[in-house]
Amino acid sequence: MNLIYALAIALLTGCGVHMLLSRHVVRIILGVSLLSAAVNLVIFYSGRISSTVPPVIEPGSSALSEAAANPLPQALILTAIVIGFALIAFAAALALQAQRSIGTLDNAGLDVAESLGTPFDGPEKRR
Amino acid sequence: MPLSAILWISFLGSALARPLALRLGQRAGWVLAILPASLFGLLWIAGSGLEGAGAIVEEVAWVPSLGITLDLRLDGFSRLFGLMITGIGTLVTIYAGAYFADKPAHKGASFLALILLFMSAMLGTVLSDSLIGLYVFWELTSLVSFLLIGFDSYKASARKAALQSLIVTAGGGLALFAGILLIGMELGSFSLSNAMQNSAALAASPWCGTIMVLVLLGAFTKSAQVPFHFWLPNAMEAPTPASAYLHSATMVKLGVYLLARFDLAFAQVPAFGTALIVFGGLTVLVASVRALSRTGYKAVLAQSTVSSLGVLVLLIGLEGPVAATATVGFMLAHALYKATLFFCAGTAIHATGRTSLVEINGLRRALPVTAVAAALAAVAMAGLPPTFSFIAKEYLFEAQLESGSGWFALVALVLGSAVFVAIAGIVSLRPFFLGRSREGAVHHGETPGLFLGPAVLATLGLLLGLLPGLAVAPLLGPAASALVGQALPVSPALWHGLTPMLGLSALAVLLGLALYLLWPRLLARLAHLDWLDRLLGDAGYNHAFEGVLALARRCTLVLQNGDQRRYTATVVGATLLVTAVGLVLAAPPLAIDLSLEGLRLAPAVVVGLMVAAGFAATRMRSLPAALVAVGIVGFGSALLFLLNGAPDLAMTQFSVEALLVVILAALLLQLPIRPPSTRSAGERRVDALLAGGFGLVTFAALAAMTAAPLDLRLTEFFAARSYPEAFGRNVVNVILVDFRAIDTLGEIAVVAFAAMAVWGLLARRAKGKEPT
Repeated sequence: MNLIYALAIALLTGCGVHMLLSRHVVRIILGVSLLSAAVNLVIFYSGRISSTVPPVIEPGSSALSEAAANPLPQALILTAIVIGFALIAFAAALALQAQRSIGTLDNAGLDVAESLGTPFDGPEKRR
Repeated sequence: MPLSAILWISFLGSALARPLALRLGQRAGWVLAILPASLFGLLWIAGSGLEGAGAIVEEVAWVPSLGITLDLRLDGFSRLFGLMITGIGTLVTIYAGAYFADKPAHKGASFLALILLFMSAMLGTVLSDSLIGLYVFWELTSLVSFLLIGFDSYKASARKAALQSLIVTAGGGLALFAGILLIGMELGSFSLSNAMQNSAALAASPWCGTIMVLVLLGAFTKSAQVPFHFWLPNAMEAPTPASAYLHSATMVKLGVYLLARFDLAFAQVPAFGTALIVFGGLTVLVASVRALSRTGYKAVLAQSTVSSLGVLVLLIGLEGPVAATATVGFMLAHALYKATLFFCAGTAIHATGRTSLVEINGLRRALPVTAVAAALAAVAMAGLPPTFSFIAKEYLFEAQLESGSGWFALVALVLGSAVFVAIAGIVSLRPFFLGRSREGAVHHGETPGLFLGPAVLATLGLLLGLLPGLAVAPLLGPAASALVGQALPVSPALWHGLTPMLGLSALAVLLGLALYLLWPRLLARLAHLDWLDRLLGDAGYNHAFEGVLALARRCTLVLQNGDQRRYTATVVGATLLVTAVGLVLAAPPLAIDLSLEGLRLAPAVVVGLMVAAGFAATRMRSLPAALVAVGIVGFGSALLFLLNGAPDLAMTQFSVEALLVVILAALLLQLPIRPPSTRSAGERRVDALLAGGFGLVTFAALAAMTAAPLDLRLTEFFAARSYPEAFGRNVVNVILVDFRAIDTLGEIAVVAFAAMAVWGLLARRAKGKEPT
């Protein structure tokens, strides 16, 4: 099963990177979303995906049973899911604002900063 | 009085100098001069008991855990330096007070404070026995020198010269620091006197050559030796009192000081002496040629200073005790006459508003005392009797003849001395005594503050020549002894009889006279030789400087080209490369886990669906369709969590994914649904290659990860402690809100900040709309 998981995660990562390399902002955001799903699975996988028993201590016992799933990666992923959500929500708001004020979400057209010129141009060349 | 107290007084005094000077107004120079004058007195008393090569040592702890001290040490040599620093410092302070009399008060006050701070740093350098302390003070002098050269910060040339001197001297300082660290590593101590006594251990060290080169770099940059000679003449952008003090009498001699100190430490490394003779001699020759091709008053003096520094470096390279005497003698003589000449130049430039020697004439009527001082200093510079310089020069030739180090050093010394004679005439006879100053050319006469310094120094130069005994017992003897490490008999006299040294002196004077008479014609020739200026000037430095800027520009234009796709591709490519190299070079070689053990149908189907959706997302032209595909991946991962014992994750992922799809769908409502692709076919191929490579590396890393044993210590800790310590049965929950509660707080903060940022972004739109 490990082989299948590793293969699937690797393929999802590749898909995410491919979308990240796009010039369209929404595609980049979708790429980030794909990548963060893949990264969450990497963390899950690193703690070994072997058990189906949730890591909850049985009533009457004071320690987790040996059969339960590894709780540590789950805790890390929970944090990562929420942070990933905040990141994408922020990026979406940024994209919305860019679309409204500039009128395009294609990176080839988003050149407000570049049209200011470079520091090497000297003051007279900068607009 | 302990040596540390002298340093404390010096630094505290210079910290108070600026507010005090602002309050004192015109008298500031005279009152503040009390500080260096009293330090002069304290140093004189502190060192008066020194005999032979003896020394006063004071241990000062600094960072005991690293074995770093601020130990101080006063011997004859550092005392001579200290007296020159404080003595000339006194006169410079008085002179600077008068020099800035017609400038705004705060300028003069800042200048005086910097001069005194510089003096403190110089004193710290020569009193340090700890090499680390020496380095700290050494760099402090570079920094203050930067501030003083760039003092007229409104002038672009001053800023450029200041930066140049800082880059050269502080850069050399870094080399020196590396050398010092190596010395500490090899000898086990950062003590300068320890290094001087352990020359055998140093010579035996495998790092000896490296240490020597690094120390030479530090000294040559500071003392403006070839090929770093170019910064000192440019440093003449500084106000003249600073030039007189830093760039002729004291700071630039620090390199010489360092070399003289290390002469004993490198006593068993013959290459050290040879390097000094070669570079010192070259410096003398280069600076002599350049001195004769300049017309600026300060420029000519600066070039001759470079030449004098070359002479000193060469002298240190010579063998034998006479060389030590000649070094300290010439050092003192040079400080006396060169500071005087800078003072006179400053007064002449200040009074006429002109800087070129060709334009300044016949000032003897307007500035009589200055003119006499200039004349005396010129006699000294020419090395004529009865000045102290004559004695020093006799020693110089004697040291050369005695060491028998070949014709190169001799030629350099005779030629250098001849050029000194010519320059002495050029900088004193012409501006003060020849010709007649034009009507109205002189804006003001001399004030006591302006002529006290040159008068005192020029008189001293004469007095020490007439009564050489005055300087020997208290100053030169102990200084020369400290250099060779044993008591040295020094008995100078004006008249030695008819010796070879006298013959060389006479030859130098004759040559110098000829050069002086030929100077106008020589100047016309040399001034037009552009290639000479390029070869001997700072063209190399400028080339390197502009090369670095051009490289930075090119890198920026390539890397910062405004195309985000290229940035991402660069980052992805670099990550790919580093990870791949790491995987290949991993030791021991990685095992790969390719097991299908524990295969279950449900998760396998989910995983297959996710991969299909992922590929679909990359292929779809329509954005809503791609969003649906990405959503499928998200919900798929939630299902995977649910199927593998992580219901908490599944719940969170479901709700977050639902929210995300809603938010992104809302975004898509505002956009064209099928944007055209702006990736070219070539770019697509590159992207596919990068994405494929990334997937491959990820796969290899994951397969290698599960082949390695899993460290379960943390898991076991949480499994065992969750209930007894945090009273929670859901271990994931307990980890989040108890064991890693601060982390979770941070996560909540991130979400809150994101919400605030989103609100700010969208509110801006609402506000902008209101007026319309």
